Amino acid sequence: MVRKYIINIILIIVALGMAFPIFWMIALSFKANPETHDTITKLFFSEYSFTNYWKALSSDSFDIYLLNSVIVSTVVTLGNILFCTLTGYALARKKFKGNKIIMLSIIGVMMIPPHVIMIPLYRTMVNFDWINTYQALIVPWLITPFGVFLVKQYLSNIPDAIENAAIIDGANQFQIIFKIIFPLAKPIIIVLAVYIFLMNWNSFLFPFLFTNNAEYWTLPVGLTFYMGKQSINWGQLMSGASMSAIPIILIFLLFQKQIIKGLTAGAIKE
Amino acid sequence: MISYKNKDRINIFLLLLPWILTFLVFWAYPVVYSFILSLSEYKTLSNETVFIGLDNYIAMFNDEVFLKALSNTLLFVFVTVPITTSLATILAVMVDRTNGKLKEFFKAAYFLPSVTSLVVIALIFKNLYSKEGYINTLLQMVGMSGQSEGWLQSLDTALPAIMAMDIWIATGYYMIIVLAGLQTIPKDLYEAADISGATAWQQLKSITLPMLKPTLLFILVVNTIKSFQVFIEIYVMTKGGPLNETTTLVYQVYQNAFEMADKMGYASAVAYVLFFIILVISLMQMKLLKEKY
Repeated sequence: MVRKYIINIILIIVALGMAFPIFWMIALSFKANPETHDTITKLFFSEYSFTNYWKALSSDSFDIYLLNSVIVSTVVTLGNILFCTLTGYALARKKFKGNKIIMLSIIGVMMIPPHVIMIPLYRTMVNFDWINTYQALIVPWLITPFGVFLVKQYLSNIPDAIENAAIIDGANQFQIIFKIIFPLAKPIIIVLAVYIFLMNWNSFLFPFLFTNNAEYWTLPVGLTFYMGKQSINWGQLMSGASMSAIPIILIFLLFQKQIIKGLTAGAIKE
Repeated sequence: MISYKNKDRINIFLLLLPWILTFLVFWAYPVVYSFILSLSEYKTLSNETVFIGLDNYIAMFNDEVFLKALSNTLLFVFVTVPITTSLATILAVMVDRTNGKLKEFFKAAYFLPSVTSLVVIALIFKNLYSKEGYINTLLQMVGMSGQSEGWLQSLDTALPAIMAMDIWIATGYYMIIVLAGLQTIPKDLYEAADISGATAWQQLKSITLPMLKPTLLFILVVNTIKSFQVFIEIYVMTKGGPLNETTTLVYQVYQNAFEMADKMGYASAVAYVLFFIILVISLMQMKLLKEKY
């Protein structure tokens, strides 16, 4: 019994440690002129205001960054829902020559560290004349090998009796995909969608390399440039950081199970 | 099963087309092009590529900054990976003993850093680590002097400070994976051990840890591969400084390719060395998993 309490107390202290930096960010974001050495009690009991948020949105272009983040993450997520499901379906249900080669290309790409291709991918974008365009931020990520893999595994474990019945009833390919496969794969599509949205919302390296015009910056890119621009106003910077972090924390609390499943998929053989 | 019909073949091709195009244009071509670039000197202004064989690879051994980046990256891997894995395992065993709402709360709280953007986390820690930051304030409150130069500005503490942050980020994520691994251990093993009078410590040593071996191996590999690619935190917090003290392999790739003239070929060679290291680790993992499990 005593041991149980000790364990709980340790775990609670660690949990507070995990949450503290996020709390610190939010606390600073509501202060007009925060001192970095303010104590936590002073921060907590002094006045709150939304001034930093209004300033960041109106005069520091965070409205544009926020909008860009929403556009890019949403379009990429929709693309993945469609394309990963189509390809995953073909791999799980169709017999064709080259099935193994396609699977190999998917698993192979999952093993390529993205940092390794940053130079050639950047050169490709230059050659396409895609630097400072939405295409550069969206098109390469519309279908991800991990997503295809997830859908393929899921559909492989579901018997194909329903589809065969539909084929006998005379349903065409289009109807089978949109009336049967999509509803059938819904649970895994939710996992996929939340995971892809999260990854792209937080993505930094490629949006950073492919843009040098503030019109196309997403939140993480805008934040790093804002930091380098002037002597740091921590209050405003942290309000920008909060705009990036708070939506994702809310999504996490809503879709906790799906996010954990997506982020840890493949870790445990079931 | 669906039979081979011409119409079906066209359908299959159309279904696979998005992946085939993405694979060829955005993955296969870059990997090949990057290798060619690593054997060339690329002139930034004239857009010329001159073949120079293995010169870029040889040049690395005489580049002090590269050697510093390599040793920093290795240090990063060998310090953070074991600490993260141990902490994650200890926490998972503890969280596994809690129940209901409390357990859900711990899982959510520990996972929070993993869903937050790394740029945001790096910014927060840059604030906390600064000369007048909260970490120094806390240390002074308990009577210690703190780091008077600022944790990221001092040669001695810059890299350890970033490592500590990375451990803080990753521990919760791997804790969740270990926790899932714990659920796969049959409960009757513990019941049998209870009956034969084994203590909690004995059970941990001779049931839990051996049964967790595949999970722990997986974590070690994934975490090693991730730690070899440290970049964002370096870019946001120190830009490789002070005096290249915190530079890493990926940071060198970035710096050579995008901040220096005519170095894109050399940067590609550094990237390929990193690719090779990671490939070897991945293949070793596959072999180990096949052999033992």
